[in-house]
Amino acid sequence: MTAVATAETVRKAAAETSRGAAMTMVDVRDVRKVYKRDSQEIPVLDGLSLQVKEGDFVALMGPSGSGKTTLLNLIAGIDRPTSGHVVVAGTDVAQLSESALASWRSQNVGFIFQFYNLIPVLSATENVELPLLLTHLSKKERRERATTALKVVGLADRATHYPRQLSGGQEQRVAIARAIVTDPKVLVADEPTGDLDAKSAEEILELMEVLNRDHKKTIVMVTHDPRAAGRAHSQHHLEKGVLKD
Amino acid sequence: MKFLPFILKHLRRNWIRTTSTVLAMALCIFLFCTLQSVLAAVDSLLDSTSANRLITRHSVSLVFSLPFSYAGRIQSVPGVKRVATTSWFGGSLPAKKEGKAEGTGEESTTTDWSNFFPNMAVDAEPYLAMYPEYEIPKDQYQAFMADLRGAVVGRKLANKFGWKVGDTFFLESFIPPYRKPDGPFEFVVRAIFDVDPAKHPGTDTSIMFFHHKYLYEATGRSLDGAGTYNVEIEDPDRAGEVSKAIDALFENSDAQTRTETEKAFAAGFISMAGNLALLLNGIGMAVAFTILLVTANTMSMAVRERRTEIAVLKTLGFSSAQVMGLVVAEAVFLGLLGGLVGIGGSQGIMWMLTHAPGIKDALAGIGLTDLNLQPFVAVLGFVVALFLGFAAGFVPALGAYRSRITDMLRTV
Repeated sequence: MTAVATAETVRKAAAETSRGAAMTMVDVRDVRKVYKRDSQEIPVLDGLSLQVKEGDFVALMGPSGSGKTTLLNLIAGIDRPTSGHVVVAGTDVAQLSESALASWRSQNVGFIFQFYNLIPVLSATENVELPLLLTHLSKKERRERATTALKVVGLADRATHYPRQLSGGQEQRVAIARAIVTDPKVLVADEPTGDLDAKSAEEILELMEVLNRDHKKTIVMVTHDPRAAGRAHSQHHLEKGVLKD
Repeated sequence: MKFLPFILKHLRRNWIRTTSTVLAMALCIFLFCTLQSVLAAVDSLLDSTSANRLITRHSVSLVFSLPFSYAGRIQSVPGVKRVATTSWFGGSLPAKKEGKAEGTGEESTTTDWSNFFPNMAVDAEPYLAMYPEYEIPKDQYQAFMADLRGAVVGRKLANKFGWKVGDTFFLESFIPPYRKPDGPFEFVVRAIFDVDPAKHPGTDTSIMFFHHKYLYEATGRSLDGAGTYNVEIEDPDRAGEVSKAIDALFENSDAQTRTETEKAFAAGFISMAGNLALLLNGIGMAVAFTILLVTANTMSMAVRERRTEIAVLKTLGFSSAQVMGLVVAEAVFLGLLGGLVGIGGSQGIMWMLTHAPGIKDALAGIGLTDLNLQPFVAVLGFVVALFLGFAAGFVPALGAYRSRITDMLRTV
């Protein structure tokens, strides 16, 4: 147990050292986000700032309604801040048009959902191939890349299976393969283990570690699970729309 | 094209709904194509009529005949060029009996309605003179005029039965006064007429004429009148005036007349009542609108239950326009399938109508022998199907276009 803890400490220290020289991949500055419901304004993020270095693995924690998912959505470019700047991979996402933002997402961000959100009528390979339909790759190239992504997540033997034929953990692996198939710079994960049993959750977290360590993916993960957060290099706690540490 | 498999997979998601939507769309296009083809056939028939020909008939109904004496009196009306006595014979080939050759007419008591075709007893000389579109070789015309049993048949009819000049055949009318006690009427093909399709498109050549005098003599001179009088006038612009003058002649007689242009007569004969085009188009529009609502509802349901998937597509980088395009393409594909099935069904039913005994004869009786799915109607039907698909998919697609990713994910 002590040896494992020591190895973990060394690994985190090494990651810390390498991050010190890395560029900032995610730069959130003084961001406010207010939702409007009829005439009522609901502030969710209140002047929040956060920097994530390239190759980092960050966990966002906090109680429900604290703004974790909203922050994640802003970083992923699927929502826009009311004010402030969200710069990801050198692009201020708030400045992009709707179509430019969609194109930017397809190239720079991989999104992992809590409930996997695979398309039920598509096989594992077809689900993974989906983001590649937006590229100029040939059908053969698309299929090859999807197969490679499935190999990375250890599901090459389930390529032709449909979501209903897979377990929750396997579905999430396919979802991760879909997120990495375009080789994005940033992976954002919204409670990726929230719908899984402990064993499957452990496998998913290990996979995310591999993606961060071996494939150099910058990962921002929202989670309620302290054990999942413990896999990250750093943890940030949100409360009522502001970072507490 | 790379999105096509994606669209097809979605259509297979709920195959019962997809099938029922396609069938609803197919029914709409089927009705549209069939009704429009009937209208096109009717229009073609009406276009073959001439503006300088009038038809005088009994004012009450075509069922009642007009006295023979009317011919001379109509001829005296200023502006009238020719008058021809005409009676719808309603004859059909006698049914072939076991052990007897077809068309012998011996002891025939039944009729073969499967070979019904339009046939009329006419006052031949003036009648054929007022129908110059019927091109008859001079020698054949003379042979016909010289033979009381002679018949003039159209090329299509001659081809259908393999008749040549000189052939003999028998007809038996379903109208009691036109039946002979000693069996069917015997006819000899004396002339076969052609029509220039370029000059007279729609003019039917599956028709037969014979001498009215033969009908009169063969029925024991018991006939007291003719079905109608075909009237050729000097000036088509005076058709209304001449019609009124003819009808005024018989205003105080037992058999009052109704005179109208050949086109109006044909239209009335086909539709019998009301405006056929308005009726058929009305039915078509109502069905199309209903199907539009059904398909729009189906597409709305399909989009509503895929809100999360649409959010996922957008998250993956699909633009709103691309997502909208996928939804519209799915609806248009439904329209395409429905259109193809509907057009095929329409072609099938028209083939069946023009080949089924009884129905075929009824259509032939009103001159609709060429009921086919017209190419332009098929193309129009296909365009309507695609438009219905597009219109049905547009509103749900617009909803998908406008929806925000975070809102749709929140409904999970």
